[in-house]
Amino acid sequence: MMISGGGGKSSWSSSTSSWVPTTSVSASGKRIQREMVELNNDSPPDCSAGPKGDNLYHWIATIIGTPGTPYQGGIFFLDIKFPSDYPFKPPQVVFKTRIYHCNVDSEGLVSMGILKDDWSPALTITKVLLAVRSIFTNPDHYNAVVPGIAHLYSGDRAKHDDIAAEWTVRFAK
Amino acid sequence: MAVNGEQKRTSRNQKIPLADSNGQNMATLLSPGFKSAAAMAGWDEEALLLASLIVEDTPDRDSKHKKRSLLNSKSPATNSSRKRRARRTPQQPIPVILDLDSEETPRKESGRKKKEKKACVNNEGSKVGGDGNEWKEKNARVPSSSSALPCIDKLRDELSCAICLEICFEPSTTPCGHSFCKKCLRSAADKCGKKCPKCRQLISHGRSCTVNTVLWNTIQLLFPQEIEARKAAGSLNGRHQAQNLSPETAFYANLRNTKTQPSSVASSRNMNSRRSVATTSTQVDGDDALARRLQREIDEQSPGTTRTRVHTGRVRERRGVSTSQDEDAALALRLQREEFIQAFRRGSNQEQGVRLPSSSLANLRAMASRAMNPRTSDRRR
Repeated sequence: MMISGGGGKSSWSSSTSSWVPTTSVSASGKRIQREMVELNNDSPPDCSAGPKGDNLYHWIATIIGTPGTPYQGGIFFLDIKFPSDYPFKPPQVVFKTRIYHCNVDSEGLVSMGILKDDWSPALTITKVLLAVRSIFTNPDHYNAVVPGIAHLYSGDRAKHDDIAAEWTVRFAK
Repeated sequence: MAVNGEQKRTSRNQKIPLADSNGQNMATLLSPGFKSAAAMAGWDEEALLLASLIVEDTPDRDSKHKKRSLLNSKSPATNSSRKRRARRTPQQPIPVILDLDSEETPRKESGRKKKEKKACVNNEGSKVGGDGNEWKEKNARVPSSSSALPCIDKLRDELSCAICLEICFEPSTTPCGHSFCKKCLRSAADKCGKKCPKCRQLISHGRSCTVNTVLWNTIQLLFPQEIEARKAAGSLNGRHQAQNLSPETAFYANLRNTKTQPSSVASSRNMNSRRSVATTSTQVDGDDALARRLQREIDEQSPGTTRTRVHTGRVRERRGVSTSQDEDAALALRLQREEFIQAFRRGSNQEQGVRLPSSSLANLRAMASRAMNPRTSDRRR
């Protein structure tokens, strides 16, 4: 993964002022840099993440489909956007690779409690990625954003898995 | 019996010089684990040596006891008496004795002890293993006093704020026992509801957080560099917010602030030159950058100190704000910075081994800078 922001430079500008000093980084920028270093040192299994370009607030991440699930072998790309008041507001996580999953809407937006009301500033991107990875194995079909998939998941698990595997082969490989 | 004892004693005295040279070799052969255990029991190098001699001389228990009691009961005027005295006196201040030259050490030591205790409270299980290591490390560290704590990374993780991921600054502890920076906790309570960010328990007093003094002092002792940097950054932010400037003036304010920053960094460098071997690559980069920047600034004002006044005047003109107080503060900061640059230069010219600036001097300077910073920020407002 490309890491470009290590020097303490942030090209991102806050909504309040258009001018950002190059020497001082906002609290959110600092925290994101820290997370980047942390991720670099030990990234969670089957996950990677880092800034997309030189914008610290826009990351790209990959998760490799967990073996034993219909997503096995797929490589899923995600976009992560940090709000300016991160970590007090959750990041936005969007699947760029199409995935057949009851917690991911047609736009790819991941719907999880911790990315909404249950967000806590003590959560990090590492934990978010782990949480996303965990819905591969355990879809939360009670809080689904795609009711059809959730219905199929609880009703006809085999068929659900077949379709998910097919999507994985088609889009994620 | 008395004759027998006399014989034994003399024979022992004869043996000592010979065995001593053996003992030197043996000291190196002693396992580090044993050494650390001995250190914990308060034995010093000599006591250790003597003990090993006794063990070597006497394979069976009885004669050892006899010998020891004999040695203790009489007071021969030999060199062994010195050793015995050394052994009998409690040896707890080993590190202090050996480190009299650096006045930082006692503070550090006590801080570490406190820390150790805390760490044990925090997670007994994982820290127990590290304890022996720490002692060993301490012993190894005392003569050279240059390497850092082995578990410093663990401590860093443990003492980091989960919200900003940095070392807790003015930590505040929730009723559920989790600690965060006071500021972080406050904004978390404001923006995310009054729940503990770690365990989601309700925080009743989200507004009036109090600083956990013990924890805060511990952190200051363990990570003085980080805290210093953070203080500088904090005053910088404070000024920004207080002024609410247009971008242009903000630039000059920032210019000044960046000038004060390296000085504080340099001061902490001086203070901690001994202990700062926490060599992360980023720190090395930072040092490089700092050195380059300082060099540039030195080049820039090589003609001498008189020029600084001119320069501040120019800055003032450009800003279009003219208060004599402002100028004073700026001048003071500049002079102080110059001093630091010189100190830094001296430090970098010498090799690692001979770190000249005495820590007390560095301390004074740090205090001065600390006293200076709030004053200037007050004036700015």
